[in-house]
Amino acid sequence: MMNSTTASASTLSTEDISVWFGERQVLQDINLVFPANQVTALIGPSGCGKSTFLRTLNRMHELIPSAGLAGRVLLDGQDIYEPSVDAVDVRIKVGMVFQKPNPFPTMSIRENILSGLKLSGRKITDADDLVETSLRRASIWNEVKDRLGDQALSLSGGQQQRLCIARSLAMNPEVLLMDEPCSALDPGSTRRIEETIQELSASMTIVIVTHNMQQAQRVSDQTAFFLADENTPGVVVEFGRTEDLFNTPIDPRTNDYVNGHFG
Amino acid sequence: MNRKPWAQSSATFKVQLALVSTIPVAIGALFVILGGFDFSIGLIGVFLPIQVIVVGVFGWLKAKKRGLGDALLIFFTTFFSTLVLVLLLSVLGSVIFEGFKALSPHFIYENNRYVGTTTSLEYGGVGHAILGTILIVLLTTVAAVPLGIAMAVYLTQSQSKMRGVVRTVTQSLAGLPSVVAGLFILAVMQFTHLERSGLTGALALFPLMLPTVARVAEESLRLVPADLRMAALALGAPNYKAFFQVILPAAKSGIVTALLLGLARIVGETAPLILTTNMNNTTNLNPFSGPMASLPTYVYNFLGSSYSSSQQRAWGAALVLLIFVGILFGTARILGRKKSLKTSKKAK
Amino acid sequence: MAIDQKSGTELTQRRKLAAGPLSKGDKWFFRATAISANFAFVLVALIVVFLFVNAWPTLSAQGISFIFGDIWNPDAKHPVMQLGPMLWGSILVGFSGVLLATPMAISAAYLIVYLLPKPAARVATTIIDLLAALPSVVIGLWGIAVFSPVAISWAKISNQLLGWIPIFHVKDPNSAFADSPFIAGWIVAVMIVPIITSVTREIFSQMDDGLINGAVALGGSRFSVFRKVILPTSSSGIIGGILLGLGRALGETVAILYVLQLSFKINFFSVLESRGGAVASWILARFGEASNSEFHGLMAAGLVIFLVTLAVNMVASFIVNRAQPWRKN
Repeated sequence: MMNSTTASASTLSTEDISVWFGERQVLQDINLVFPANQVTALIGPSGCGKSTFLRTLNRMHELIPSAGLAGRVLLDGQDIYEPSVDAVDVRIKVGMVFQKPNPFPTMSIRENILSGLKLSGRKITDADDLVETSLRRASIWNEVKDRLGDQALSLSGGQQQRLCIARSLAMNPEVLLMDEPCSALDPGSTRRIEETIQELSASMTIVIVTHNMQQAQRVSDQTAFFLADENTPGVVVEFGRTEDLFNTPIDPRTNDYVNGHFG
Repeated sequence: MNRKPWAQSSATFKVQLALVSTIPVAIGALFVILGGFDFSIGLIGVFLPIQVIVVGVFGWLKAKKRGLGDALLIFFTTFFSTLVLVLLLSVLGSVIFEGFKALSPHFIYENNRYVGTTTSLEYGGVGHAILGTILIVLLTTVAAVPLGIAMAVYLTQSQSKMRGVVRTVTQSLAGLPSVVAGLFILAVMQFTHLERSGLTGALALFPLMLPTVARVAEESLRLVPADLRMAALALGAPNYKAFFQVILPAAKSGIVTALLLGLARIVGETAPLILTTNMNNTTNLNPFSGPMASLPTYVYNFLGSSYSSSQQRAWGAALVLLIFVGILFGTARILGRKKSLKTSKKAK
Repeated sequence: MAIDQKSGTELTQRRKLAAGPLSKGDKWFFRATAISANFAFVLVALIVVFLFVNAWPTLSAQGISFIFGDIWNPDAKHPVMQLGPMLWGSILVGFSGVLLATPMAISAAYLIVYLLPKPAARVATTIIDLLAALPSVVIGLWGIAVFSPVAISWAKISNQLLGWIPIFHVKDPNSAFADSPFIAGWIVAVMIVPIITSVTREIFSQMDDGLINGAVALGGSRFSVFRKVILPTSSSGIIGGILLGLGRALGETVAILYVLQLSFKINFFSVLESRGGAVASWILARFGEASNSEFHGLMAAGLVIFLVTLAVNMVASFIVNRAQPWRKN
């Protein structure tokens, strides 16, 4: 399954993705398939390149001046790095939630939800409806419906993160990338976001980077284990169904990692 | 910002410290007041040596050689810092004290139409110079602020390799001698039909304001978390929209600070205006033609005369100028303070 | 399930990434900011060119002696304009100012970062910055009316105590002390203390905590840590700050004009004598009554002082930028 076969059913897949920063290679030949409506967890020790990999999936990677890339990222069979493809279109289809909640501090809750449409220059047809739907999908509607005009920074950390999810959802993405979305949050907020992820997977493909093994098991359908030995680029050691990877890992290194022997 | 790995002080130590620092001052003061010594002699000849010896002995008794070094270090840094403080207070105090004597309502709003060097202070004022300064400075601002912000945007948002060089050149421009800025515009005037006016004055101030605005704006844009820009770009925003709708609003108070500090930098500039605007004793509201007065040139002009009423006018205008600077500087400070409070609260 | 590391020739090629902006709006946005940024170069070039063109009549007639000679006679049949004493005077005043300002600035920075409690440190920082915002005409006014008499008495004391050192020697005590480079140096020092302080303060406050705590743990006293850890690690940044101050001092105009007797009888180092020079002040002093021929001479003087300060400032910014890596992105 690791070879570069492009399943026609898949929404997102990568073919031999290698990544450089300057002359330093940080990822080598990553081949992964993220089928539609599935949650994929990317796990691995710090510095193994999983966040970097995530950023190649919506062309955020190229914003780093020294960044280099080889291979292909296919969104419904279309290579998103083709010269004819507009990075803006890619980022609209492939949304992203960051590690630290980063709502726009000068905007209200409502404006934050609508910011994506405004920023990408798209028409807003039914603003009220969009705001409500997005906030509902991120399960934060009930908490903020009476204060949509408040500054986004008045929310708690967990609420801010769910606001950021809602902000991405307002763009109606096909894929949602999440870069350790709960690492800055308390257990309660984490649980609610995990529930949200499961609900969202009904309507989109989700890729989530996480350091938390339990979280990976709770939310994901399949898991990829990244590893980078010292001074070598990161590779995918093992990729498969989450239960299989955690219960019956094939590679001994995976076994060591998921059982907490190193990392 | 404040780091004190040496924090240590018992009550007795504090008392001893107080004694050590007050006795030499008292002795010095005694010599000056009772002994009729000149103040400077009292300071340099009596106070300083006694203070150095007392502090040194105290430190030696406390911790031998280590104590000696520490005591002298603390004494000298405190002494020199106090000197800075005294110099500043002396400047502020004298301008406020002397300037206040000249201040009156009509001094603020009247112009100097019928005023000569010996005219008493009951007539005339700096009204025309205040208006002139405001007009000239506003004209400079209109050009320098957008350009300075654009430079700051380049230095923070673009990925260009030229940024280091641009930053160095901009910083070097910040050290441009103000008289050279005046000469530059004067040289330009040789090749154009520009006549001396408020406009040429504003042009001469432009190279002086630009680097200040660029530097402060750069710093404030740098304070905006990179995350916000990334979030905007990840939502499909082009860079310019990410900047205008997300980054710029987040840096608003910093940008205003850049404007205010830029204004404070040029509002008191004298030499360029002396070279490029003609003096005027009457009000001129058209910066594009005719001579135009300004506060700094007013001070310069009346200081040149030795008559006491002229001197008083100079002090009065200096006070008005200082008030301008104080308002600009104070507002910038308050805005900056608010900003840092906000970010530190967020960091918690 | 190990990775198949096959290398398809096509796929392992590094691809060209569209790192730049793609949309039309972005292209214009970056183009506009790049043009604005390049305006810094254009401005420097324009200043040099315009001054040079206006200075050429004098420069071509006077040659190298414009820098080194000491006669200023612009309205003779064959005008002679030589800037030597003014240029040297600028340097003398500049160095005096730096010499006086540096101990004050380092002290203030040390006090703010290592001695004062936080609220007091914040007040002190504000005071120093306020000093930087004072217009030079105000400093000049204060200098002539308030500070000069005090400084004259300091000068007298220095002369009586240290007169045996050539620098503090005066020929005739009755015609010395007032309007001397010593006083001008003090005035300049007041103006550049904030510049040196703010650079030094920032470098002190960003210094590696571990370094200082480590030295303290090894039994370092305040003094030994200051001398052996703080000063050596921050010295290059402080030198950069001092050079920034020097650049400012060399170009100071109005404030010096009030407190210095400008003279073409060159004063090499007798800082207490009542004569000295300063290019920028000389330009302003002569400008009002300058004939056409002197006008070109003053332009040439402006060009010289501009190039000198530009060079000093470039070196200074380079050093300061290198000493403050946290300011880069």
